[in-house]
Amino acid sequence: MTAPASEGHRTARFRVLRRKAGDAAPHFDDFDVAVGPDSTVLEALVAIRRDQDPSLTLRHSCFHASCGTCGMRVDGQEGLACVTKVGDASEVTVEPLANLPVVSDLVVAMDPFYDGLEPLGRPLVRSSENIPGALPDGVEAYTRYEDCIECGICLSACPIAGSDPLYVGPAAIAAAWRVVEEPRGREPGPVMRLMDDDQAAWRCHVAWECSEACPSGVDPARAIMQVRRKAAGARARRLFGMGGRS
Amino acid sequence: MATTVDRPRPAAGGEEGRRGATGWFDPRGRRMGGLAFILNRLTGIGLVLYLYLHLVILSMLARGPEAWDQFVDIALSPPFLALDVLLLTGLLIHGLNGIRVGLVGLGFVASRQRAMFIALMVVAALVAIAGALRIFSGE
Amino acid sequence: MSQPQGGAAPFHVVIIGGGGTGGALAHDLVLRGVRVTLVERGEVTSGTTGRHHGLLHSGARYAVKDKESAVECIEENMILRRICPGSFELNDGLFVAISDEDADYEPAFYEACLESGIPARRLTAAETLSLEPNLNPDLKLSVQIPDGTMDAMRMPLRFFATAKANGAVIRPWTLVTEVLARDRTVYGIRVRDLTSGREEEIAADLVVNATGPWAEIVARMAACDVPVQPSPGVLLAIRGRVCDMVINRLHPSGDGDIIVPQRGLSVVGTSSWVVEDPEDLGVPEDHVEMMYANGSALVPMVRHAERRAAWSAARPLIGSREASTGRELSRTFKCFDHRETDGVEGFVTISGGKGTTLRAMAEKTADVVCAKLGVDAPCRTRDTVLLPHDAFYTVVPAA
Repeated sequence: MTAPASEGHRTARFRVLRRKAGDAAPHFDDFDVAVGPDSTVLEALVAIRRDQDPSLTLRHSCFHASCGTCGMRVDGQEGLACVTKVGDASEVTVEPLANLPVVSDLVVAMDPFYDGLEPLGRPLVRSSENIPGALPDGVEAYTRYEDCIECGICLSACPIAGSDPLYVGPAAIAAAWRVVEEPRGREPGPVMRLMDDDQAAWRCHVAWECSEACPSGVDPARAIMQVRRKAAGARARRLFGMGGRS
Repeated sequence: MATTVDRPRPAAGGEEGRRGATGWFDPRGRRMGGLAFILNRLTGIGLVLYLYLHLVILSMLARGPEAWDQFVDIALSPPFLALDVLLLTGLLIHGLNGIRVGLVGLGFVASRQRAMFIALMVVAALVAIAGALRIFSGE
Repeated sequence: MSQPQGGAAPFHVVIIGGGGTGGALAHDLVLRGVRVTLVERGEVTSGTTGRHHGLLHSGARYAVKDKESAVECIEENMILRRICPGSFELNDGLFVAISDEDADYEPAFYEACLESGIPARRLTAAETLSLEPNLNPDLKLSVQIPDGTMDAMRMPLRFFATAKANGAVIRPWTLVTEVLARDRTVYGIRVRDLTSGREEEIAADLVVNATGPWAEIVARMAACDVPVQPSPGVLLAIRGRVCDMVINRLHPSGDGDIIVPQRGLSVVGTSSWVVEDPEDLGVPEDHVEMMYANGSALVPMVRHAERRAAWSAARPLIGSREASTGRELSRTFKCFDHRETDGVEGFVTISGGKGTTLRAMAEKTADVVCAKLGVDAPCRTRDTVLLPHDAFYTVVPAA
């Protein structure tokens, strides 16, 4: 899906970080690809895999920032390759997400990411912010998917996730806050207790990189601060003997 | 569906893949908040070093007036005054940013954190400049 | 029962293709006691499954001209709601008449829906606009039907998760380099593990080709012929959630006639042409412009909305090769037993269909596979609630 040769194409050089099982260290491979004014990094990588190197492995699925599988670092900056434009860059460096184990080339293992999310039991579907004049017959309320597309970009951008193997990560805390904000039949109490922990909400150092990098508007940094505010309030109340456990 | 866990499970996995603390200083892709984070680490380390030096110097007091007078001569020299300005700047950055982190980190003013950082660093710069002028012009 | 004579290990079926169909088939076969290995050259659902707009199809679009498809869709729609709870936005959908011609089409459309078993409700223009205020204010009327929104990757991922938890071996990053056959009987595949470069052979009692638009290419590897035409269409994702219900244009199936909400985006689709090569679809800019034009006929704010992404996805259409736009072919799925079609034993192809019918495609294919192997086990997927999608990563299968 790159621009056909006739449509104002030019050539861009892609430096892609490669690593296969058994390699002692990763290395960069260079590829020259025809790109057009609207080409995305994902389109270029797919063209490289199709035309130049079928052994290049990368994750992708939806091509429209909904599945979250194509997260990677382009020129050092986290983003979803499917909506990252090549623009007029003549050279583009592509590396896998940081802070997750690399399986092969640009593919990282998402197991640890999901291990952090799973205990929270966050439902996939939430109420829609849209309040219409009327609801369709048979529909009790408009619902929509949660914003988080589980891409791991926040984890890659977080400096603490980079240096602390025990930090639960921004996505998990943001998911937990969603259960507190909108329980949907879940119990917010145990989720808050899980996050009110020095390896969870209190491990954050307010670098805010997660929210800046998030491609889906989750704003995990703000969620972490909300968790802290609520947890701090509860602790203060307990300290002064007002009110029971939160 | 949720399993019971004693501690929250870490999300980052494996030794490889994790960038480590050196990743903090990779400027690519970093924004204002990341810069504030790095500055706080560096000024924090700097202030700890200063604290150690300060204690060493104070210990000279125990060695009597001659050692102290020697030190005062060095202390009034321009390079040392420059270090004083550096110390002042570090204190301002770390302290003011620390206030920001404290407020934002408890959920207050969180949405304006970037603006807060810029504003506070401007204040830090102004006070540092005023302080530098004062220090170099002599008490 | 699900074992070769002599009480040895269960039959081993290898599935080529990690799209929704492959995943659902792995799930179905494992529940019938068959040992399953699925190989996919990329990420699961990365071929074509993950790219669609995410419509949980009510079948209404097919009610008038393709009743078979319509009935399949509404049945599977209801089954999916039951076996994948919590995986859909269930806001229903609207077929909206914008022009007088659209309004004239409505009675036939409405009747056809009811005949196909699709619950439908007629709405006046005023009622329609109170449900979805962003719609074109000049609309004439609409029909409410049980469309829904799915996450095109995460819903199929639940099939993979459940199959994996039940013992299916799912191998992404595994490219099939050869289909191995002897005396016109397929006995396995040769693969390259793309994470290491290592090659190996995987023996199988039967191999299923579930590669969607690549079905013909893979079938050729087994010296078989399958008339599957890749038919791409352009889709456009714009920033902003312009509707909660799925919005369809009420007219005979044409281009750019649906808007599906997807989180904070709205996906406008779609167009249609045919190609030979599923690897290089292109994203014709005039088709993208068509999405803007036709989408804004339904919801005017689409015209000036910011483009988040524009891409192509290939439908696998079964039928003759002469179709020029791809719409004339039936959208039913088909299972080919190549012993009948090409005289090759041990090889079956499943292709066609759409995202909503993955479970039914798998059931029919599993029926064929089990009949060929002599496995006597009923399908259990209609009523088996699937594991959540993250179980694909977190559940360690029982030994």
